[in-house]
Amino acid sequence: MRDHSIQSTVPTRRGAVGRISAEAALVAVVGIVFAFAADWISPRGLALARNYFPTGTNHAVRVAASAVPPGRIISTNSASPSPAQQLATRMQQEGLQLIGDHRAEQLFHDSHLKPGVVVFIDARDEEHYQAGHIPGAYEFDPYHPEKYFPVVLPVCQAAEQIVVYCHGGDCDDSETAALLLKDVGIPGQKLFVYGGGFTEWTNNRLRVETGERNSGNLRNANQ
Amino acid sequence: MKNGQPSWKRAYVNMLTVLARWLLGAAFIYLGLNKALHPVEFLKLVRQYDLTQDALLLNSIAAALPWFEAFCGLLLLAGVAVRGTALTLAVMLVPFTLLVFHRALLLQAALNLPFCAVSFDCGCGTGEEFICRKLLENFALFALSVWLLAGHGRQFSLWFSLLKPPAP
Repeated sequence: MRDHSIQSTVPTRRGAVGRISAEAALVAVVGIVFAFAADWISPRGLALARNYFPTGTNHAVRVAASAVPPGRIISTNSASPSPAQQLATRMQQEGLQLIGDHRAEQLFHDSHLKPGVVVFIDARDEEHYQAGHIPGAYEFDPYHPEKYFPVVLPVCQAAEQIVVYCHGGDCDDSETAALLLKDVGIPGQKLFVYGGGFTEWTNNRLRVETGERNSGNLRNANQ
Repeated sequence: MKNGQPSWKRAYVNMLTVLARWLLGAAFIYLGLNKALHPVEFLKLVRQYDLTQDALLLNSIAAALPWFEAFCGLLLLAGVAVRGTALTLAVMLVPFTLLVFHRALLLQAALNLPFCAVSFDCGCGTGEEFICRKLLENFALFALSVWLLAGHGRQFSLWFSLLKPPAP
């Protein structure tokens, strides 16, 4: 009696496993179709064929830098270049120039003295730009360049010095944006990447503008 | 009494399983939409795993995965193809957790930190988290998925099994 019940349950279990596996495969196929359709319909969807990362960024450096707790110093071999040195070298190889906060401040003052000759480009997304940006900076999200090129391109063509920045730290969107501008014909010697970015700018308690460009809503950082 | 279990106990297990299904469904909808609404941010996080250098493949993963998770969450919440969806999620969670674990090991080595002190945004939809907590969360999601595979809790299901067993 017991043997008979075991024999009768084995095929049932096998059948159940097969049915669940087939159902999982069906869910996977329909889910994948749904997912690509949703991405295609979504206004924020990704363009599958676009290369969003034209830069050859060193991931290992970014990974390590992104996880360093504030104030912590990583022990490194003194013979190996620091992440900042590696970044500067890479920028040089890409035909870009990396600048620090003093040079960025100097160029910011120049941008007021020579409007249109020195311009700032904010490579963060719209949400962050609206929340606060370097006064007078143009919005240019490098992941949606088609939206910003009509305004930014003529400005960059006319300018003599262009400072591109993003959040700073492990953010490489400024580098991506600068390379995009270089790709569309802006000479590399005009392009400066502000490595410290908006975080350093606000840490230095410099003025920021909220909302649209030239909105007049100015405040000191961290207020 | 049926199948050797008192009926109150079966009802209790069934109710708990329904709650587990709703919890798992809501969790995947939340995690999926968090990423689907910020696809570029998610793309950058996926890229950090160095899975592929091919832009099309990388974009496809980042474009489809969040919506796929939300889709599975919706199925669970509605009670459609519950066991198949639970199996899909359980199978998906294993490689994801291994990838996160591997990246945490790399960070631990790079930063010389205790393992549980490693904290990063794994692209899971929950922002920056300590790795041990993340692994526990993934284990909990996996355990819930496996529990749903047992086939309890058919109440409040629109279409529990898409594929019916053949008639005897």
